[in-house]
Amino acid sequence: MKNILEVFLGILTAMGGFVEIGELVFTVNAGVKFGYKLLWMVVVGTVGIIVFGEMSGRIAAVSSQPVFYFIRQRAGYGAGLLTLIAANLASLLTCAAEIGGIAILLKLLFGGNYFLLAFLTLVFLLLVVWFLSFQAIERIFGLLGLLMLVFVAAAFWLGPDWTSMASGFIPSVPQLETTSDYFVYAYFAVALLSSIMLPYETYFYASGGIEDGWNPSAINQNRIIVIVGFSLGALLAVALMIIGALYFAPLLIEPQMPGTAAMAPAFLFGKWGLIIALLGMFFAFSGAAIENALTGAYNISQFFGWNWGKYRVPKDAPRFHLAWMIMFVLAALIIFTGVDPVEVVEYSIVFSIVILPLTYLPMLLAGRDTDYMGPYANGWLAGILGWAYFVLICIAALAAIPLLIITHGGKG
Amino acid sequence: MSEHHLDIIRQVLDRQLVDANHNHCGKVDDVELELKGEPKVIALLVGNEYASDRLPEFARYVSRKLFGRRRLKIPWSEVSVITDDIKLAQDAKEYGLDERKGFVFEFISKLPGAWKK
Repeated sequence: MKNILEVFLGILTAMGGFVEIGELVFTVNAGVKFGYKLLWMVVVGTVGIIVFGEMSGRIAAVSSQPVFYFIRQRAGYGAGLLTLIAANLASLLTCAAEIGGIAILLKLLFGGNYFLLAFLTLVFLLLVVWFLSFQAIERIFGLLGLLMLVFVAAAFWLGPDWTSMASGFIPSVPQLETTSDYFVYAYFAVALLSSIMLPYETYFYASGGIEDGWNPSAINQNRIIVIVGFSLGALLAVALMIIGALYFAPLLIEPQMPGTAAMAPAFLFGKWGLIIALLGMFFAFSGAAIENALTGAYNISQFFGWNWGKYRVPKDAPRFHLAWMIMFVLAALIIFTGVDPVEVVEYSIVFSIVILPLTYLPMLLAGRDTDYMGPYANGWLAGILGWAYFVLICIAALAAIPLLIITHGGKG
Repeated sequence: MSEHHLDIIRQVLDRQLVDANHNHCGKVDDVELELKGEPKVIALLVGNEYASDRLPEFARYVSRKLFGRRRLKIPWSEVSVITDDIKLAQDAKEYGLDERKGFVFEFISKLPGAWKK
């Protein structure tokens, strides 16, 4: 019974934590620009994150050795350090994007100065991570992120044409008017893949499994949570794309600001629709900001061999605790420079895809290593899917920056 | 423990150091070998100086400027067990590897709740 409850809560947590700011901005805008035509990319990305999420959870359950131990042991100090710097830069940018997004949401909810609200967000996040346990953070932000399900209700309410929607799940290149439209289509495809498969997710998941004290008996539980939780989370991404196609496109609005997306539930369900949508986004973005800051601290502590983990008394892991604080502060400083948070989102997504091969390769090598994983090493399915996705993300990584430049950040 | 069958690169270098009280206390950044006759590990080398030595020239310079040139030697005789980690015989502070001192510790340990589980 306890196990069933655990799995159920795990699924809800994975679902509520699925969407963060980058995904929200790109799915809604992909819907505005291309209707249902990029829905298939949500499926591709979701299967990808399931493959690597399952792998990193299994690694955490089998070996008490976190992934950055393995990276340093196998890649050596120099290449390992390069991976560490790239992974933490991606996490820092993502964390900054979330903090900027939260400040915008708070401004919509309460009004006030954007920078003051960003500062209050920083203080809030610092206090939450300092005072709450890992398990409490995981549950609170995952479960309250489910308020975003109001977007799924809104998508249903809008009454999508199911046949044309179904055809969007088949990978295709649609007929577009100009060559530049094709580049924009490709840019959105790459950005969607990146926003769903953000690199911090698997690092966080692997270290989180160790925080939760997983052992090999948790492997099946992990598998169910990842497959069901992430698939249901993808529903949210699909709903956001439908909202883009059916609500914003006819109004000729391309919602740049993350809060704009809440206009759809506000229009359909009134004031409470708006409040629930904004609160859902608040918890989802906050959860992602926390996960990125902790990921940065996990990575660096594991690379240099310090005591790490929220489960340790802070005075026994002082460097780890200082590290996540520094991640938050640096992320907030990026926002304080006055840079447009939407641009930070965009760069965080593009930078993430560029370094994605660097972060997923070690995971793939660790997962298949029988010295490290014993009988729990990747089977044929995880192996084939893992390498297929590795090839795919390498192609996306090579294409990302040229596409960013050619399309002027997706504007065509 | 027989040194003869130890794969230094895979089993020692870059492995996690754990003290007698299960505290993590850094990584094996390098090893010192004696090459007279049968090669033998003399000491584990820990610290940014040794780690930086493994970087290309420019990165080495930057790393030393940023993170200092700490160098510590732990005699091989202090190694008690080798599993996935390298377990040391005494507490980290006997080797100068305890992270619970210095300004980071001073700061964190003064915050409310820092001593509570």
